[in-house]
Amino acid sequence: SIMPSYKLTYFDGRARAEVARQILYLADIPFEDVRISLHDWPSLKSTTPFGQMPLLEVDGQSLPQSFAIFRYLAKQFGFSGDSPFESAWVDALADQHADYFREILPVLLTIWGFTQGDRMALVKEVATPARDKYFPLLEKIAKDNGLNGHFVGDSLTWVDLLIAEHVGSINQHLPGFLSAYPSVIKTVNKITSTPRLKEWIEKRKETTF
Amino acid sequence: PVSTLAMPSYKLSEFDTRGLAEVSRQLFILSGTPYEDNRISKDQWPALKEKYGFGELPVLEVDGKQIPQSLAIARYLAKEFGFYGANAFEAAWIDALADQAKDFISDIHPYFAIAMGMVAGDTDKAKAEIALPAIKKHFDLFEKVAKDNGSNSHFVGSNFSYFDILISEFVFSIDSFLPGSFDAFPTVLAVRAKVTSIPAIKEWIEKRPKTVT
Repeated sequence: SIMPSYKLTYFDGRARAEVARQILYLADIPFEDVRISLHDWPSLKSTTPFGQMPLLEVDGQSLPQSFAIFRYLAKQFGFSGDSPFESAWVDALADQHADYFREILPVLLTIWGFTQGDRMALVKEVATPARDKYFPLLEKIAKDNGLNGHFVGDSLTWVDLLIAEHVGSINQHLPGFLSAYPSVIKTVNKITSTPRLKEWIEKRKETTF
Repeated sequence: PVSTLAMPSYKLSEFDTRGLAEVSRQLFILSGTPYEDNRISKDQWPALKEKYGFGELPVLEVDGKQIPQSLAIARYLAKEFGFYGANAFEAAWIDALADQAKDFISDIHPYFAIAMGMVAGDTDKAKAEIALPAIKKHFDLFEKVAKDNGSNSHFVGSNFSYFDILISEFVFSIDSFLPGSFDAFPTVLAVRAKVTSIPAIKEWIEKRPKTVT
């Protein structure tokens, strides 16, 4: 069958699109990696289904919402778990991560330079409690899964990529912030040493977010 | 349709509330699948919390194995019972809409916190500044999606999906606080009308425990 064409549109950064880029690269699927400047976004916004990015186009058909994109690509290319039950756990962990990410986002937006704020106060009063609520759970999940280099099951899934990308971002801007979670760090290190992923990470453009 | 040969046992645990667990309850009902509707009281919860992986409800148990997170549960059941679109791309759109609905919950939540007395504030002010803009922002979008889908009383494709059920419940819940909020979205209301006209769902809505949310 003829391979569909894939086009991914997002800002010039990793944040909510990177997992999609990684899945496509890991699956060796060519895709158009479109990056929109903050300046150009307002005029493009109304042309998108939800007024948001990232946006995936598959043979010209649009799909919005980052997790829907990740889950769709993961399912197409074998990164969504080895059974319906495992897929459900990948989904559940991703949603749990999203709950945490929603809490910490205001801190990240300041660190990334999109909003003004007292960075130190935000880290202390917002990021730290959010981390302390979620990362012990992640630490336990990594251990309960046998410290096998995955958060769910025993093969690479999109939630592995999601968490690894986030940990990478945190390490970039708040080194040491996750030092109390060695099993998480160990698992993320194993994920990012997957050969083709390591290659992508090494050659990708460096961005603030 | 589910094979009765190896039917798993299903237990859905949640507080005595509809919330996002209600979608899953209705998926069981629509598919004619027996399940245990386990409602946990606030008093019972502290002792039970540790039993559940993420320390939160709802949790689905399938032959005793847990799945947490309301939408992960809904997606799992939708897949099992056939309420997830006709193909992978339709499924992805249903997921995208469900995640957009979660963003809507996040946006409107501060209004409910005030309206339900959990947080101090002026309810009328919250209605004007928080609730109505959130409804307009997200439901303009949902209305468009329903229209673009052919105004066939479904949001995606031509059969019931878990998102049809989810929105039907949202409209019910919010309308109870803000009557008439959805008058501007007739195509959305048509989806709700279709869901609630299914005899098994109609019957469930009549007999289910009456809760505020």
